[in-house]
Amino acid sequence: MSTVTSSRRTAPPQAAAADPPRRIGRRQQRIAATVLLTPFTALLIAVFLVPVGYAIYLSFFGEDHSGLGFGGGETVFTGLRSYLAVLQDPSFLSGFGTIALYCVIFVPTVVVSALALALLLDSGLIRLRRTSQMLLYLPHAVPGIIAAVIWLYLYTPGLSPVIKLFAQADITIDFLGLHTVLPSIVNIALWSGLGYNMIIFYAALQALPREVIEAATIDGAGGIRTALQVKVPIIRASVVMVCMFSLIGALQLFTEPMLMNQATPMVNSRFTPNMYIYDAAFRRNNYGLASAASVILLIVTCVLSYAVTRWSGRRERRA
Amino acid sequence: MPGHRATAGTTALLTLLVLVLAGCSTSRGSDTAGDGPVRLTFWSALRGSQEVVDEFNRTHTDIKVNFQQVPSGEQGGWAKLSNAARAGNAPDVATIEYPQLPSFTIDGVPRDISKLLPDSVRRKILPQALDLTTFDGRTYAVPVDIEPMVFLYRKDIFTKNHIPVPKTWAEFESSARKLKKEQPRSRIASLFTTGGTLYMAGYAWQAGAQWYQTSNDTWRVSMDDAPTRKVAGYWQRLMDDDLVRVEPGSSQQWRAHLRSGETAGYLAGAWAAGSMMASTPDGKGKWAIAPMPQWDPAKPKVSTQGGSTFMVTKDSRHPKEAMEFISWMVTSPDALRAKLASGVSSAFPSVPGLVPVARKEMDTSYYSGQDIFGLFGKQAEMITSSWKWGPRMVSTTTSGDDGLARAGAGSGTVLEALREAQSRTMPDLKSLGLSVTTD
Repeated sequence: MSTVTSSRRTAPPQAAAADPPRRIGRRQQRIAATVLLTPFTALLIAVFLVPVGYAIYLSFFGEDHSGLGFGGGETVFTGLRSYLAVLQDPSFLSGFGTIALYCVIFVPTVVVSALALALLLDSGLIRLRRTSQMLLYLPHAVPGIIAAVIWLYLYTPGLSPVIKLFAQADITIDFLGLHTVLPSIVNIALWSGLGYNMIIFYAALQALPREVIEAATIDGAGGIRTALQVKVPIIRASVVMVCMFSLIGALQLFTEPMLMNQATPMVNSRFTPNMYIYDAAFRRNNYGLASAASVILLIVTCVLSYAVTRWSGRRERRA
Repeated sequence: MPGHRATAGTTALLTLLVLVLAGCSTSRGSDTAGDGPVRLTFWSALRGSQEVVDEFNRTHTDIKVNFQQVPSGEQGGWAKLSNAARAGNAPDVATIEYPQLPSFTIDGVPRDISKLLPDSVRRKILPQALDLTTFDGRTYAVPVDIEPMVFLYRKDIFTKNHIPVPKTWAEFESSARKLKKEQPRSRIASLFTTGGTLYMAGYAWQAGAQWYQTSNDTWRVSMDDAPTRKVAGYWQRLMDDDLVRVEPGSSQQWRAHLRSGETAGYLAGAWAAGSMMASTPDGKGKWAIAPMPQWDPAKPKVSTQGGSTFMVTKDSRHPKEAMEFISWMVTSPDALRAKLASGVSSAFPSVPGLVPVARKEMDTSYYSGQDIFGLFGKQAEMITSSWKWGPRMVSTTTSGDDGLARAGAGSGTVLEALREAQSRTMPDLKSLGLSVTTD
């Protein structure tokens, strides 16, 4: 959803200014539109609207058990019962706490390091620009679950060569401990997301008008000053976009902690909201609870994306 | 980043897909076509089930059983069964552990077999076992084995260090201290993180706790009642004083400690005797089994840990035949012999009349010829029937285990873990519409 709004906003405005091709009849235009939009619409309905609708249905209708529940239940309208239960569940709310903490560590780290790398690449200080770009982007091509498996191997005591190496230097290091497990997850996300975000910044930097940079240089600004006071403010839209995507990505954190749940009890089965939903549906067999949690997560994600878009839009207009 | 992450929408889709797939993937085994024998399907994660089924099929002509080995509960066995039941094609007969039975009963998976269960079979089963499968006056499953908790210990280490085998929990603590003093690398037992909540339940049950009670058509949840507080405090002290090893249950680490003698004891259900023989073969002649330590030796009480039941599902089109098959599996000496022939098992049969068969089949030289089934039998009689498992034990145990793991890492306590397990289970019970109170 957020992707649609943001891409509309960042789309170049030339399209509207261009002359519409008058020769093509309205009818043909309509056919073309139908043909081009059908696959998207079909998929949107099949993999988004229908499941969301079903989740909403499941969250309001469920087996009603009275008393001890052994008599068996019948499917009835249960109202807000599942929603109330989810909102009163400390483990669901603590999932959002985990995400908040994750964001506090992850978002600034990924934005600052991706931006720094992009500026370095743009400044021409780095040799072999294409090769380093590709090397940095490569981890993003690794599917999330594979990345998690690789890192889990490096984190697991007894398997990990990294831990072994540290042990030889008499340093005990526990990547899966009570306080280290979240940074360990952030590290995986950073590893796979850094290159991707760097490319976004780099592309934005490449699109900068060269005159502005030249003007800065003539005015006597050094490389660092140009980067921080000229380049960064101009590509602010990209920075906001990366922040937003990272935030939404964080809300849906699932793969890495889910896998680490198998390896360390410090990642519990309801570590993030998405894991809570999975646990409720497939382990606790409580589809009403899972659906209500899904709907709440969807609403939170939508509201947050909308808020960020609006907020950044206003900032931009004012600037 | 946003490319490969499941969204809330796809999670919902996953839910839908699993339901649909569960509907297509399992073929119905019971078909009534023709005049041939009635065909039943049977799912179980219990080892040796195939041998039992083979024996049944060999000796019966009117009923033929099609057996399918399913993964153990946590590994997907429970999900498989409940999804199949949702899709309306559960097997005729399925195996379920005691703690999970209320949950499945509330979901409507097992059939009420109060009338189906023949009195002749009912009378043979240990009443305490049947109590655990009877809710609100109706019986929903037939117990296969009932597992009184016992204390397995390294006799050689205890003798060498002149440590008495503890009869009470106070003696258990002093033995633990003595062992640590004599052999600083050894500990008397383990406090489990993964899987530990069910062990803690066994300890609490023995002390008289009632985590779940039913009265006036209402569930009463109290995982911090006085007996539980006593037990949690006791284990907390053992943990704080470094008298027990804190480690995940059934882990490689734990087994390695058992093998090396660094862990010199194990408190568990009777089944553990056979499991120990299989996983620690070089411990032969070194291990012995004692009754559980008691809080009050004048009034000995015993709880259980582990054990399974057989249910006839609501989906079954041949409940009568399914019950006949179950009755045979639970009461027939042939069934027990077939099961024991398949490997080492010390599971204590829920039918005490079968104990002589088990005793005869079991080679107890591992325990220096100790009459372990005699011991189990005496303990089984002392099982108190005050205990009830709750309506969503998966929720209770996973939350409790998380808390125990944190307590083991120095954050929080055993009691806090149990309190958290309760608070994390309540939303589940409420969203099911159950009448529930914590008063």
